Amino acid sequence: MKFTLHIWRQENARAKGHFETYPLEGISPDCSFLEMLDILNEQLINDHIAHPVCFDNDCREGICGMCGLYINGRPHGNDDGITTCQLHMRKFHDGDDIWIEPWRAKPFPVIRDLVVDRSAFDKIIQAGGYISTTTGGVPDANTIPVPKHKADMAMDAASCIGCGACVAACKNASAMLFVGAKVSHLALLPQGQIEAADRVHKMVCKMDELGFGSCTNTYACEAECPKLIKRQNISRLNRQWIGALFGRDRK
Amino acid sequence: MNLPKIHSISKKILVGALGAFLSFFLLFHASANLLILRHDGGEWYNAFCHFMGTYIIVKVMEIGLLAALLLHVVLAIWLAVTNKMARPKGYHKPQRSKTHTGSKLQVWTGILIFACLIMHFTDFYFVKIGLVKGKYLAKTEDVVALKTTQPDAINYAEQHGEYSAKENWLTNFDKEDKAVLEAAGLEVEPDFYHQAREKFKILHIVISYLVFFTVVWFHLRHGFAAVFQTFGLYNYKYGKAIEVLGQIYTWVVCLMFAVVVIGVYFGLEL
Amino acid sequence: MKLDSKIPAGPLAEKWTNYKASQKLVNPANKRKLDIIVVGTGLAGASAAASLGAMGFNVDIFCIQDSPRRAHSIAAQGGINAAKNYQNDGDSVERLFRDTIKGGDYRAREANVYRLAEVSGAIIDQCVAQGVPFARDYGGLLDNRSFGGAQVSRTFYAKGQTGQQLLLGAYGALSREIARGTVKLHTRCEMMDLVVVEGRARGIIVRNLVTGDLERYAAHAVVLATGGYGNLYYLSTNAMNSNGSAAWVCHRKGAAFANPCYVQIHPTCIPVHGDYQSKLTLMSESLRNDGRIWVPKKKEDAEAIRAGKLKPTEIPEENRDYYLERRYPAFGNLVPRDVASRAAKERCDAGYGVGTGYAVYLDFADAIQCLGKDVVEQKYGNLFQMYQKITDENPYETPMMIYPAIHYTMGGLWVDYELQTTIPGLFAAGEANFSDHGANRLGASALMQGLADGYFVLPYTMQNYLADQIYVGKISATTPEFDAAEEVVRVRLNRLLQIGAQATLNSKLSTLNSVDHFHKALGKIMWEYCGMARNTESLTKAKKLVSELEEEFWKKVFIPGTSNEFNPELEKAYRLEDYFELAQLVIDDAMHREESCGGHFRTEHQTQDGETLRDDERFMYVAAWEYQGHGHTETMEKEPLVYEHIQIANRNYK
Repeated sequence: MKFTLHIWRQENARAKGHFETYPLEGISPDCSFLEMLDILNEQLINDHIAHPVCFDNDCREGICGMCGLYINGRPHGNDDGITTCQLHMRKFHDGDDIWIEPWRAKPFPVIRDLVVDRSAFDKIIQAGGYISTTTGGVPDANTIPVPKHKADMAMDAASCIGCGACVAACKNASAMLFVGAKVSHLALLPQGQIEAADRVHKMVCKMDELGFGSCTNTYACEAECPKLIKRQNISRLNRQWIGALFGRDRK
Repeated sequence: MNLPKIHSISKKILVGALGAFLSFFLLFHASANLLILRHDGGEWYNAFCHFMGTYIIVKVMEIGLLAALLLHVVLAIWLAVTNKMARPKGYHKPQRSKTHTGSKLQVWTGILIFACLIMHFTDFYFVKIGLVKGKYLAKTEDVVALKTTQPDAINYAEQHGEYSAKENWLTNFDKEDKAVLEAAGLEVEPDFYHQAREKFKILHIVISYLVFFTVVWFHLRHGFAAVFQTFGLYNYKYGKAIEVLGQIYTWVVCLMFAVVVIGVYFGLEL
Repeated sequence: MKLDSKIPAGPLAEKWTNYKASQKLVNPANKRKLDIIVVGTGLAGASAAASLGAMGFNVDIFCIQDSPRRAHSIAAQGGINAAKNYQNDGDSVERLFRDTIKGGDYRAREANVYRLAEVSGAIIDQCVAQGVPFARDYGGLLDNRSFGGAQVSRTFYAKGQTGQQLLLGAYGALSREIARGTVKLHTRCEMMDLVVVEGRARGIIVRNLVTGDLERYAAHAVVLATGGYGNLYYLSTNAMNSNGSAAWVCHRKGAAFANPCYVQIHPTCIPVHGDYQSKLTLMSESLRNDGRIWVPKKKEDAEAIRAGKLKPTEIPEENRDYYLERRYPAFGNLVPRDVASRAAKERCDAGYGVGTGYAVYLDFADAIQCLGKDVVEQKYGNLFQMYQKITDENPYETPMMIYPAIHYTMGGLWVDYELQTTIPGLFAAGEANFSDHGANRLGASALMQGLADGYFVLPYTMQNYLADQIYVGKISATTPEFDAAEEVVRVRLNRLLQIGAQATLNSKLSTLNSVDHFHKALGKIMWEYCGMARNTESLTKAKKLVSELEEEFWKKVFIPGTSNEFNPELEKAYRLEDYFELAQLVIDDAMHREESCGGHFRTEHQTQDGETLRDDERFMYVAAWEYQGHGHTETMEKEPLVYEHIQIANRNYK
């Protein structure tokens, strides 16, 4: 297959970026999108034209959340429920123009080319996205029964890989699905109840502070989530927030 | 500028709550409008308007409603501005994610609604507060008695307007008549029935109102379910039901508005 | 070099209890005066840092990705073993211990494995308390499934994303410590060298991957939890950035490297389909619970399938060879990984392979018929979806194609019972050490080991080391040792970048090749001659080819850019540089071990029906290698394996 790639190039965080066009030929339809970029980079190295295109990637099986490219107007490209590394060239037409951009959001500054800094997500988790336990001294696992449907819903929410596609897709660069997924995961389990009110308060405050936008119920996040995390988790986040408005009352 | 600190979700909850209040008002407004179609020369409708215009509690609520509208707009724009700031550099390629169109347009439909409201207020509400002139009516205790005390005025009124024996109302006066009636010591108030009946005979006004309702339809269609979502009431179990309810509500409100306007245009009286 | 495994005295079941009772401790006020460096944020690293931080130590943790949550532990799918016996099916600590020793083909250290089995239950308790959403049954209690090499159901799981959930649990605990200030997080930082001062590990040199700056960190002890070296083979189930360099620089500094030839090949991966391929995707071992593995019985059927003339669904039942069920009736499709991998290779080599010829079928038709599509979808839905996205084939309708691929390395830094390497103060945890799996690791045991090391072993054993370190005071990062280590790194990076610069001067630019070009070539050599089956001849050839390739690498590798910028090509280059040395060691170790055991299969040593043939007389030991300088053959020290508790037997899954 043959493609014309338009790729965002930016030497470093301070540099002014621009789009560069690269023609590419002889790509197998079974090739994954990142392998296609590997081939491009191989050519750039062999031809000594330019520095290879930098893009984050790691596990290449859709679970680490490292990869994330905005491809032709969609985070992770034109398929549902996948990460960029799971996108295959058979999803494109021969001769397509492919525009590749980095995630765009104030809290996700570009590091180089298509690589962005997503440490804002870690900061949100550090604000309270966990259950406070120290190692040891916990009860036997089966002394905390969890209704199966709740455990399943918690699992669905917990499957978030922190790739940032929700932020990239959202017209407001909002992290509500990311925060909602973590809040839901923990709020659905009895272990997470104890800190639930504080957790939601701290995480949302941190999210606001980092400069993420707010949710306007467009649900682009849901449409682009590689793990198909549902908007119901944002609703639960809102519910938890309302609960926390009163639930955090203390002396 | 030091803005009061309201967390993003709280801001949204406020916008949603105000929106919900406003959309309940719409249902109320639309239902009341149906009275215009009644074949009674505006008796019921004007009686309703009289009640709304004079009853003290309603008057207080009216201020509340206007405040809610303004706050809804201010908060929504505040949110929209902060949301824009969250992505200083945009994408080259426009977004192609599968989302509801209405939701992406919410701010713009909101602004359009605001613009349409100015038109609507010019047509009706501003008449009431005296900014614009329209149709008027005068409510009298007893027309027969009045005829003896102020025959000139009543004759004038009967020639220029209409007389409703049942309610003892003199209606359908133009703005020039207003002064004459007032000079005669009659209490004059807007005549929204005839105002509507006159306005909605004009094609371009009918069309602009239908556009207005379409925009409201978009705004409501997204807004209704979104309010549930923002209040945290949207879940797996009732999600579908909420959406269906939202569709029904939106269609009912907008159709009721549209039916009145179209009905008047075609001279429908039931 | 003297190896002292420091196994505590006493009966096996009491060793760990005795150790804990008599070890040295650090008092709470002193803990915050002691600095610890943890490299790697996978299960072992994150859990160790979180536990040590919670205890009050001053911890610095490093990872090469943009977030600790990206570590490759996240990709583990199937589950985690624990001897809870919740299913009342005869499980116990003893049983898990025995299964693991047997699974490792009697090449693991008894005391370590027993301790692993002993703490396994506490791991599940810990994870549940952290909110890991393990699968549950309708009563709300934990559910289990079975895994290879065991006849009980002891594997706890969270859909097909168990590794992810466990890592997120540890990441949560770590995040809490970061918020409390006991742990400092350094992302996009790569460990480039270990600093040894007066014989003890005292710090590391890291390269900031964003700016390219070299930075120094000093501490009283260093924990290495940087995973395995499977990417030596280029195509593996490891993540693209997984590498063996951190462990290797420690090896260069004197830490012994044990059993490098024990490499695990996972039987159920999506087969290779093109040159451009960058990695292989694992299909969870849990699929073997319900999936049946087969190839056509007749060669002509296999040929027709390869030619695309026949569909697998068109082959009648009687013409299918369910070779695992045929050869191993007792364990069937759930034989350990090495056994299943070799059996697949045997069938494909014999000409019965499907697809490109290097693939076998994993069929769910029976399971779908018997359990219903819904049940199968619920159990394996996400794996099926993953398969379909990659191959464009629907596994509900046509059998999956799978083939073995490099997955895990049992070998690693040699550690004693305390998980301390031969460099005092340098500890190794998780896949980075060699300790618990012998010559083959059982499914769902890597997660168990990583978390056991981090949560329940290192927090004890490190105190034993650190107890007297309080007298040393704060470690300075400005000593000559740090200067020297940093200089070595600088020289190393320059040397790599010089190759391209030199070629540009000599206008030989067109003869240069990318790092990946060499890495692929190295991987091919290793897979071909030192992969699933090895012999003297292939290993000799491999050694020669690797040397030649390395020579070419130093002449012809082109690395664009500089060392002072974000430069992934440079990262790949220095990792590959280490792989060349490591490859030689793997080959040497494979050559010297003239027996077959677990993942190490020497074709000269096999039974009549093609099973591994151990030589317990000569090789019942751990081979610990000591670095002797580049290009020099390493020297080997033996740690004899003494089995006091377990009865050595033939490893039989029939």
